[in-house]
Amino acid sequence: MTYPEELMYTKDHEWLRRRDSKARIGVSSYAVEQLGDVVHVDLPSVGTKVSEGEAFGTIESTKTVSDIYAPCNGTVIAVNERLLDEPEAIAHNPYEDGWLIEIEMEGQENPNLMTSRKYMDYLQSEH
Amino acid sequence: METMTTIIKKTPMYENHLAHSAKMVDFSGWSMPVFYNKIIEEHEHVRKYVGLFDVSHMGEIFVRGKGANSFLQKALINDLDLLSTGRGQYTALLNEKGGMIDDLLVYKLAEEEYLLCVNASNTEKDFLWLQKIAEGLKDLTLKNASEDFAQMAIQGPSSEECLEPFSSYKTSKKLNSLEYGEIATLEYEDGQAFYIARTGYTGEKGYEVYMPKSLASLFWKKVLLTEELTKVKPIGLGARDTLRLEACYPLYGQEMDETVSPLEIGIGWATRLDKAISFIGHEAILEQKEKGLERRLYAFNMLDSAIARSHMKVFQDGKEIGFVTSGSVLPSLGERGGLALLNISLLDEQKPIEIDVRGKLKTAKITKKPMYKAKIKN
Repeated sequence: MTYPEELMYTKDHEWLRRRDSKARIGVSSYAVEQLGDVVHVDLPSVGTKVSEGEAFGTIESTKTVSDIYAPCNGTVIAVNERLLDEPEAIAHNPYEDGWLIEIEMEGQENPNLMTSRKYMDYLQSEH
Repeated sequence: METMTTIIKKTPMYENHLAHSAKMVDFSGWSMPVFYNKIIEEHEHVRKYVGLFDVSHMGEIFVRGKGANSFLQKALINDLDLLSTGRGQYTALLNEKGGMIDDLLVYKLAEEEYLLCVNASNTEKDFLWLQKIAEGLKDLTLKNASEDFAQMAIQGPSSEECLEPFSSYKTSKKLNSLEYGEIATLEYEDGQAFYIARTGYTGEKGYEVYMPKSLASLFWKKVLLTEELTKVKPIGLGARDTLRLEACYPLYGQEMDETVSPLEIGIGWATRLDKAISFIGHEAILEQKEKGLERRLYAFNMLDSAIARSHMKVFQDGKEIGFVTSGSVLPSLGERGGLALLNISLLDEQKPIEIDVRGKLKTAKITKKPMYKAKIKN
């Protein structure tokens, strides 16, 4: 499993890729491994407000439904439409083709975001 | 204060599962493999080739001795007089109100000797219930062998070829001519008895094998050694669930519990109201049959992009008409769908239904049962 260094991570296994005031959000390869096969994704529409730590969508595997939590506050400006037809893209490539939403960030940055090194330490400490 | 510790039980194949990098989950007190790789791939592998399932969490109860037949006729809904030695049938235990205590398979091993294969979560409950019914029957022996027995299922078009390593064992019936519903008693090299029945829970041709724990690991390995010929792979319980759902086989805890009757889940064919000795719950079932059913199990396919899950409410024309009992992707059908217990008189089968999926109403349509036509007799 890989955790690209240019991304920031949450304890709930989302990642965040910042570009100025915009950020792309997805889930980590650890999350993907836990899910097994991804069979459905429910995402908010463009214009929806998301709040740090609150669920903005769900990822479903054959057995379970998992909430996806926003890593920071913002407004949805793009949604990965491809996932509606091809949810398995999340499992195949969680950091590129498998991105979920893009937001315009608002307010203060979440101080609990982890670097890839810190996130890996966190995963180790959990297991 | 006393501390409660829950001991999670491990099957004899536990180490093998870890070696195959299985994802293990707690399933009614047992650590069981939910998948090894991907549930959908495993599902398709069983439909196309064959899979080996560890189902050792399931319970085995032996009933032996004079009066075993009449005792079980009273306890079980199906008619044992229709069963010849070396055959099994699908049946159930009901409470007095006609509710499902469990669904199970019963095999007639010999005159007055039966093997019951019950659900893991109900084994203790079933055994206590059977003991209660057996009170005063001195010649009868009830044995809960679940802790000493392992159970495996071999399911798929190539399942027969997976039994080749056991063809030289002493057996009561030739394995390659075993018909659907038949059970063979085999003798292992050390003289221990084990049983291979042609049955299953996937909708494919297959077998379930009941054996003392000490044989399990070797049996498992011998089946997997046929891989080159059969393409057999270990398959997790996740795929077992999607396979049985497509075939519309009900699952205890999902489609049924003690408030649901066998008629409601569509096993009226196994509910023998006409047999010589009436089963417990007979009166309640008869009354329900005479009055007519209020609800029954329907299969549905999603029209909207969503997956309905168990307990989600079902509506039609704004009226609540029941709930989903099981829902999933249905890999062999290329659909999403499941089973739901719905009010018969409120439902118009020709019109779409709506399912409350986490606060959003998603459209589905009623479809014919079974969604996947079983190939068990091929």
